[in-house]
Amino acid sequence: MDFGAYEIDPAFHDEMFGSDGAPREHSRSLHEALGKLSNAELGEIQERVSRSFLNEGITFTVYSDEAADERIIPIDCIPRILPAAEWKQLEAGLTQRVLALNHFLADVYSDAHAIADGVIPDDLVYGCPQYRREMRGVTPPHGTWVAVCGTDVVRTTDGFMVLEDNLRVPSGVSYMIANRRAVKAGLRRLYRQCRVREVEHYGRLLRETLRELAPAGCGEPTLALLTPGVANSAFYEHMFLANEIGGELVEGRDLVVRNRVVHMRTTEGLRRVDVIYRRMDDDFLDPLVFRSDSLLGVPGLMEAYRHGSVVIANAPGTGVADDKSVYPYVPDLIRYYLSEDPILANVPTRICRRPDEMEYTLANLDRLVVKRVGESGGYGMLVGPHATPAERDAYAREVRANPADFISQPVLALSRAPCFVDGRPEPRHVDLRPFVLRGRRTRLVPGAFCRVALRRGSLVVNSSQGGGGKDVWVLED
Amino acid sequence: MLLARNAEGLYWMGRYAERTSHLCRLLGGQMETLVDRPIREINFGWRRIYGALRRQPPGPAIGFGGFDDDFTLADSFALADDLTFERSNPDSVWNCFGAARENARQMRHCITGEMWSCLNPAYLRLRLQRLRIADIWKVEPEGFYARVSRDVDTFMGVAERTMYRDDRWRFLQIGRCTERVQLTISLLLAHVEEIMTAEETSDHDWMSLLRLCHALDAYTHRYGVAIRMDRAFDLLVVDPRLPRSLCCASDGAARELAALAPGPGPAGGAARLMARITEAVRSGWPPEGPALKDRRDRLRQIETRCRGFHDVLTAAHIRYDADEAAP
Repeated sequence: MDFGAYEIDPAFHDEMFGSDGAPREHSRSLHEALGKLSNAELGEIQERVSRSFLNEGITFTVYSDEAADERIIPIDCIPRILPAAEWKQLEAGLTQRVLALNHFLADVYSDAHAIADGVIPDDLVYGCPQYRREMRGVTPPHGTWVAVCGTDVVRTTDGFMVLEDNLRVPSGVSYMIANRRAVKAGLRRLYRQCRVREVEHYGRLLRETLRELAPAGCGEPTLALLTPGVANSAFYEHMFLANEIGGELVEGRDLVVRNRVVHMRTTEGLRRVDVIYRRMDDDFLDPLVFRSDSLLGVPGLMEAYRHGSVVIANAPGTGVADDKSVYPYVPDLIRYYLSEDPILANVPTRICRRPDEMEYTLANLDRLVVKRVGESGGYGMLVGPHATPAERDAYAREVRANPADFISQPVLALSRAPCFVDGRPEPRHVDLRPFVLRGRRTRLVPGAFCRVALRRGSLVVNSSQGGGGKDVWVLED
Repeated sequence: MLLARNAEGLYWMGRYAERTSHLCRLLGGQMETLVDRPIREINFGWRRIYGALRRQPPGPAIGFGGFDDDFTLADSFALADDLTFERSNPDSVWNCFGAARENARQMRHCITGEMWSCLNPAYLRLRLQRLRIADIWKVEPEGFYARVSRDVDTFMGVAERTMYRDDRWRFLQIGRCTERVQLTISLLLAHVEEIMTAEETSDHDWMSLLRLCHALDAYTHRYGVAIRMDRAFDLLVVDPRLPRSLCCASDGAARELAALAPGPGPAGGAARLMARITEAVRSGWPPEGPALKDRRDRLRQIETRCRGFHDVLTAAHIRYDADEAAP
């Protein structure tokens, strides 16, 4: 493959090339191997990777597109490489962050020392729609509120930054593994040569994590993954993970609560469930406690949970810690709970509930990204430089009307990585979502789901909005 | 241990796979008659197919009474479309194959990777080609039905080779065998009704029935080339060596039901009912009277017994009362 026309822009960190245009040390083998392949040969590999996803049915659902309810996420066959030292930094930073966020959740649902000590405002926590009063006084096993965390990390010319924590139902880990299987098969000789660390044991680590969280005295726990059902965009992942953890894939209608114990309906009768890895939002978990119109949940589940006969992971109420309005305080929370400086930086963020920061935001709307605090998946945000004056004006009116619903951040110069587009290598912006597991201790697999903004120049990496994926090769030390 | 909803999904996957394969055999066989058989036989074939499926032909203008080649072929085109690609027909090939695949997609964690890797690409080929009846009509339409039928049969063959023989396998087999019992009875009844009301019949009508049931070779091997109604019936109903005989299919279902772990619902109800159906097939055949009517009446009796089977099965293992099953 010829990189001759590949564009290096010093405004962006390129994952494969230095600013002088030479391949970075850790990417030399990959660069050399790709150089020996013709564009047509790489095109064949790309085609095989895509076909394997199609045949395997590794799909996601886009709700707005009725005609294509099952879509394949576009996977780029050129892996992104992370050298061992960079992974070590990420691993340490993510471990630190998840630990601090677990402390924060334990705190805000009990004595709220951080609020009393002025680290974070009380109205921001208690006014957050994701704060669940029903969880006050609950102590999950090992203080683990967040058992599975998918943190979005980006790299700019200043280094790695955390863009967002996903502490409710983070998805994408199945793509990490599927990408690896497909790309490994396509680039098998190179893969062996590069000494890449494995990621396929994620399921085993997740199983160990969930087993550690099981209620005391239940022996070998029965695990179940609770899915909203086949219409959910991440249904493939739910099925994949249920298999990986050796648990049952259950919907709400499969579960019944009797005598404050959760059971699943089997062909031989009811069978007790000890740990539920839930992949649905709090709102739908239990119609007796949260949304009464939920048909997806299990009546009585929260009572059984509070009684201690079943564990729900992640715990209900974790959303308060990944809310966009809490995000700017995470570095302070790390310092407060762990007495350490954050290893990974936050993106500089302004909270529009503060009048001066709202004014700054409105005055610089053409240079900022503005996000709604309750939204995710890239929805409801304004990318100022790409918006028309009319769009910015309309958005400004919304910010003025409900300032507490918005935060703003500078437009990040997301790093770029070569992608095989239209038969040739082209730079595209990428981010990284590693997954952190926390049971009695913290576990990570050395890898991540790398999201790619496949549209030229686009910074939006979400799969629901034209994003794709890439395999991430973490190299051995 | 098997989740009740998964058992139901596997059961329906088996049923839809069997139905798809059956439909393709019926339509493939009918396509062959269009090449060189007289109009009477073509009309006979369509009436038998629609009778077996208990479906009315689409639209008032289309029927089975074509009187010349042009009319018959035009009607056949519309009828084949109705049974192959018609989205509003729940029993079209398109919908049955789609339902089998959708059940497999939802139950993917309950089947083997090899099964999924076999079924999904076959389904996607069909879907991505966006075929219409006109596309398959141009050249050898029977080839299309043979391909789909082969895909489904391969899927079931892979299941046979790769699935662990636990309750997942059993529910899949129960669905498949139950469907085969019902489809075979319906086809035999529709055939008898047509024979009894037709002004004229021929050996070809019986030969085509045997061919639709993969039984023509077995028949000629056992009985020679002369077609006799009683022999054809005996073969299709009670011969345990014919994989698609009624007796073989009900035996298969009864065997898997007997091996199931007991359900919390009415104890053993489904297994008992299927055993009674098997017994009715075996001991009640041939019926005392020699006439076609006697055979029809006996088949109707068996069919009546089959009707309640699904409800009994689901009450025992799937939709039981949770309060009664609570520990």
